[in-house]
Amino acid sequence: MLEKVLPDKFHKILNEKVNMKAVNEIRLRVDKPVVVNVSGRNYFLGENGVTSSITNSLYASKIIVEDVIFRASECSIYSVNEQIKRGFIVTDEAVRIGIGGNLIEENGHIKTMNNFCSCNIRVPHVVKNCSLSAYAYIVHDDTVENTLVVSPPACGKTTFLRDFAYQLSQRNLSYNVLLLDERGELDCGVNSNFTDKIAFATKKIGFENGIRSLSPDIIITDEIGQEEDVEAIMYASSCGVKVMASVHSDSIETLSKKAIFSQILKDKIFKRFVVLSKRNGPGTFEGVYNENFSRIYR
Amino acid sequence: MKYVLILIIFGLCTFVGYLFSLKYLRRKKFFNSLIAFADKLSLEINFSRERLKILIMNFDENNKKNLLDIDKKFVDFLDKKCELNEEEVFKKANILTAEEKNMVFMFLKTLGRSDVENQTKEIQNFLTRFQDLKNKCDEEQKKYGSLSLKLGIVVGLFCAIIMF
Repeated sequence: MLEKVLPDKFHKILNEKVNMKAVNEIRLRVDKPVVVNVSGRNYFLGENGVTSSITNSLYASKIIVEDVIFRASECSIYSVNEQIKRGFIVTDEAVRIGIGGNLIEENGHIKTMNNFCSCNIRVPHVVKNCSLSAYAYIVHDDTVENTLVVSPPACGKTTFLRDFAYQLSQRNLSYNVLLLDERGELDCGVNSNFTDKIAFATKKIGFENGIRSLSPDIIITDEIGQEEDVEAIMYASSCGVKVMASVHSDSIETLSKKAIFSQILKDKIFKRFVVLSKRNGPGTFEGVYNENFSRIYR
Repeated sequence: MKYVLILIIFGLCTFVGYLFSLKYLRRKKFFNSLIAFADKLSLEINFSRERLKILIMNFDENNKKNLLDIDKKFVDFLDKKCELNEEEVFKKANILTAEEKNMVFMFLKTLGRSDVENQTKEIQNFLTRFQDLKNKCDEEQKKYGSLSLKLGIVVGLFCAIIMF
């Protein structure tokens, strides 16, 4: 999956000496050691695999960082400039690469980014059945409840949503599912005959166009965080379309204190909250809560 | 037998002259096709924003033939099959001078490395330089291309007369 993007040497070490199933992130920073996040913990990448010792670590040069970004864009930076402006590139294998560098602004608009100095390669995982424990509390009597997956970054929200889409398509054939994939990383391994996808569109446009043109029963989308995202969900809800989304927050309590979510939570649009954490590694399932924030499972 | 030998020597001299003139023709064709290539890239990058590899693969075959396999080597690099180095890229391009090779190599190195606006500017910049080289090649071909062929014929005739 990463061989197209990573330098051969790094890829060979990762492939032969590291358990890639446990790797969440690979961070390359110019003239700094390569950092690999394995099961939620950071290590350096050395000749013999991951190591805690900085003396044995491999370093990323500017050429390496630039080459990773160049390769991630399929050697065509110009074709992914819209993504780069938002700070990331997603490869055709749904590997999201966050990019650090100089943002070029013109008349108040971001034009592009150059002088790349770091990148964060997020390794997508398909964890089969990871959403099953919550599934029965979200889908019942042929109804899918509006659900929000809540967790801090890198705790497995996207993996959960991905598996949920898969489970839904395997168990309930009466649903047309729309994956609204704003960053292009949600649709990795979702092998379904009942799933449509709109990629790289904002929530507002994706929800409006998707509901109008694809008539979905449920929309699954990643990382809501802006007022227009909330409005899009309220619009879907008013159209009778169910929504499953994720949000960055360490708990439901913290989430309820965020101003932009106050109305949607007060209106009880979301009937279920699935909380994930990193307590026992990414994807630790903390429980399912109802619209009154009472825990109903676990 | 003598006449056959004279004919063979005359033919050989003419052929050598033709080979020399061919070099100038191939150089001219190379720069013509390179300009067409850069032009197409500039246009497509602006409008379709299609991936570089696809743009190169879709470039028309007639022009590709004149590019001395440089396009193939570049696609190999894009596919991560080899490094991008001058020696490898210009293996079959012995008709180019070191300076020309360097310029074409710089052009290849900039491809796919920036946003639409900057990429277009860079290509346009190289197009101007390629155009200059093409004009130089046109002149060379007019001057030395036909001269080589004529010289070949003259030398052939000279040999034939001596042998006769």
